[in-house]
Amino acid sequence: MLLYALKRLIQGLITVWFIATATFLAMHAVPGDPLSGAKAMTPEIRKNLEAKYGLDKPVSQQYLIYMGNLAHGDLGISFTQKNREVNDIIREHFPVSATLGIMAVVFAGLGGTLFGALTALYRNKWPDTVIMIAVILGISVPSFVFAAFAQLAMVKINGAIGFSLLPVAGWGSVSHIIMPSLVLGLGTMAYLTRLMRSSMLEIISSDYIRTANAKGLPPTRIFMKHEMRNAVMPVVTVLGPAIAAITTGSFVVELVFAIPGLGRYFVQAVQQLDYTVIMGTTVFFGAFLVLMVILVDLLYGFIDPRVRVS
Amino acid sequence: MTQNTSVTDEPPLLEVKDLKVEFDTYGGSVQAVRGVSFSVEEGKTLAIVGESGCGKSVTVQTLMGLVPMPPGRLKSGTATLRGRNILGTSQIDGQDFRGSEIGMIFQDPMTSLNPTMTIGRQIAEPLEVHRGWSHKKAFSRAIELLEMARIPEAEQRAKQYPFEFSGGMLQRAMIAMAIACEPAILIADEPTTALDVTIQAQVLDLMGDLQQDHGTAIILITHDLGVVARMADEVAVMYAGQIVERGSVDDIFYRSAHPYTVGLRAAMPSNDPSARRSLIPIEGSPPDLFSPPTGCAYAARCPYAMKICSTSEPPPFVVGQDHFGKCWLHHEEVAGGWEKILSGAPTLLTGAKMARASSPLAENKS
Repeated sequence: MLLYALKRLIQGLITVWFIATATFLAMHAVPGDPLSGAKAMTPEIRKNLEAKYGLDKPVSQQYLIYMGNLAHGDLGISFTQKNREVNDIIREHFPVSATLGIMAVVFAGLGGTLFGALTALYRNKWPDTVIMIAVILGISVPSFVFAAFAQLAMVKINGAIGFSLLPVAGWGSVSHIIMPSLVLGLGTMAYLTRLMRSSMLEIISSDYIRTANAKGLPPTRIFMKHEMRNAVMPVVTVLGPAIAAITTGSFVVELVFAIPGLGRYFVQAVQQLDYTVIMGTTVFFGAFLVLMVILVDLLYGFIDPRVRVS
Repeated sequence: MTQNTSVTDEPPLLEVKDLKVEFDTYGGSVQAVRGVSFSVEEGKTLAIVGESGCGKSVTVQTLMGLVPMPPGRLKSGTATLRGRNILGTSQIDGQDFRGSEIGMIFQDPMTSLNPTMTIGRQIAEPLEVHRGWSHKKAFSRAIELLEMARIPEAEQRAKQYPFEFSGGMLQRAMIAMAIACEPAILIADEPTTALDVTIQAQVLDLMGDLQQDHGTAIILITHDLGVVARMADEVAVMYAGQIVERGSVDDIFYRSAHPYTVGLRAAMPSNDPSARRSLIPIEGSPPDLFSPPTGCAYAARCPYAMKICSTSEPPPFVVGQDHFGKCWLHHEEVAGGWEKILSGAPTLLTGAKMARASSPLAENKS
């Protein structure tokens, strides 16, 4: 198990290296550079600045320098924000994004398994129909639409009851987390619900559930101990990619809800060609997601004993 | 044990009367079980034999409440366990009789156990649920049960998962699980079909020994007449959702009272080198149970069919003590009917002796 985890970690490092290299090349392929901004500058000033930031060197050399720094954990200094290290930006704003993302994943995972199990238990009855219609909506409507509708609804509700039940936007307290994480997790939850439903239907008609019935076990025990654990397997499998989907999706939701997460810096950096911030956030997110996928794979081994051995 | 000799007012251990089960499908309703009655006595083995789709599994699964309804539908019938109704409910006096009064094992042990739960835990479950035993007490009993089921190193094995067991071991673990609460009846639904021949013998031996030790009645569902000859006291032959012949094991093998039973025995493989003969298959296929025939269901395939066979259903003709056959040939107006068949089918007379010899199990008994 330990050896397996180590192997996966090394594989993950290679993946991160690939992500970094690809981003670096793509970034430099975009016309312009961080200095081709709004302010007009004389060629002399520009030359000085290029020399200061190392932009006058060939791309291959820049790449080696960056990789060297990356290996030391130094992501460099932002081009557009005065004297701000990329490490500081991440340290300051990633916890916000992570909180939001984790809440959204928890919400999506719990909701998905619960609703999925419900639809399977009430197959072809009204709870199934209602939930499945909601699922189709959740999968097909993008999160920023839900975000806007959720804000509008909250404004109306707060107005109707006369006090602020949940804040419409912003960040700071627990109540600020609820709505954005719900909105952020909705699409994934819908997807997981559908997955859980088909998985559960398969389990319900399996031989070992028949055996459990023949043993005279009460339905709740069969549901909890026999059906859920086996049915949740495919859900756990896609949890890794789901975390990826949620954290990348959070850029938009953060913007709509005015949340000071990392996503905003990422989008800004791309627009301003702030090389170090683009690289920093991409590599960081990449590493985070790779780690999540590895964790999920290890978790899988705990749930399914058959995976542990092989 | 001593009571069942002459006491007549005591209800039988399990009594099933006129059980009819249908399945609703888009194409109409399938009449899977069409009026099945039988009873099981304490400590005895009843074998239900018949080909695939004749309703033998549906019959016992209905008793155990394992047939999903819908699409299944209970059309009529009663089933009583020591005089108390069990049909359409899983409870007797607020207690689930399944697992406590009746244990059941299934055809494919590979898929019949939960892959993510240890064997020991699965065996312990009925004890926790029906007897309210603690986790620990039930688990240590599970180890004893595994030992009883002749699984070596039971203590380690109990902590393993089904994928770490072989098929034969899984079936023995299933048996251990089914008898955990010492039920009065063990239903075995084709327990050896998915196992290879040497393992079959081990599993059947185990069931036989447990029956002797605990006086458990067994309902054995099979299509292997070799298994029947080896295990059964009583035999019910099913065809197209009905019991067409019922009698003691000797009645069935020596004094068959239905052409279908005769056909089944003729179709049995033999490994007796002196009996060089080819198998005689039963021609045709079973009737469509969407619209079963009005007369005898076997008439279309029966080489001895008469006019009446296709128009009206034969009643059960009693041909001996506790032995009946649903065949018009037993009717008094059919002059010498049944005897004529017997003389025309010499393979019949080799009887159970042949069945025992031809059973691969007999040789491989360990």
